[in-house]
Amino acid sequence: MDVQERFARGDRDAFEELFRQFQGEVFRWVMRIVRDRGIAEDLTVESFWKMYRAHARFDPSRAFGAWARRIATNLALDHLRRAKRETALVDEPVDVASRGNPALQREMRAEIAAAFEKLAPKLRVVARLSLIEEVPHREIAEALGISEAATRVRLFRATRILREELKELVESHGHA
Amino acid sequence: MDTHNDVKLREFLKRGAAKADGELRRDLWPAMARRMEQSERRVPWFDWALLGALTASLAFVPRIIPMLLYHL
Repeated sequence: MDVQERFARGDRDAFEELFRQFQGEVFRWVMRIVRDRGIAEDLTVESFWKMYRAHARFDPSRAFGAWARRIATNLALDHLRRAKRETALVDEPVDVASRGNPALQREMRAEIAAAFEKLAPKLRVVARLSLIEEVPHREIAEALGISEAATRVRLFRATRILREELKELVESHGHA
Repeated sequence: MDTHNDVKLREFLKRGAAKADGELRRDLWPAMARRMEQSERRVPWFDWALLGALTASLAFVPRIIPMLLYHL
């Protein structure tokens, strides 16, 4: 009996094996959504706890990674709905052109963070994953449990809002 | 859709917002094991309800105490 079958039957050792195998992947995915290391760690543990309790509903013939990602995405989305303040979108400077001007970088980050905060969580997740993390639409759709078409619609709506919010900044940087 | 503006927005975000550093720097299994232990130690709500009902019965109908002791 393989590890997924043993997990589905409630075997704790099998769960530990799967946890060790997938913790990095789940953490990386959650981190892309919440962008806060501490919160991402907590949500990773919480996601696996949810999986452990739902072991009987897991179909061992399907990929554990995709199931784990779906559960983690839902929890991350719940977190975004509850969280009041937007987490900074950047940990370190990446703009080579403005690297010499930290004030400009800070302003840019703050404006981007504020613009993302204006998005509803379900749009924000898609915008972050697609526009910043460059995750393919198919993967986003799978993790959110929606169609690719619905993902594109959400991205379209998010882009429209972001374009409006960041219009002046984009223009000024485009001409710089 | 305004494709030109979308490309500009994407380029701007690429410059202004870095991808998240998703490298896991510590093993989360100890935290997971603690989470599982905490939950296993937690007394289910039904047990608390049962205990409450028993305490209330003993308080309001004390004559059942000898009967209860006899059956124990």
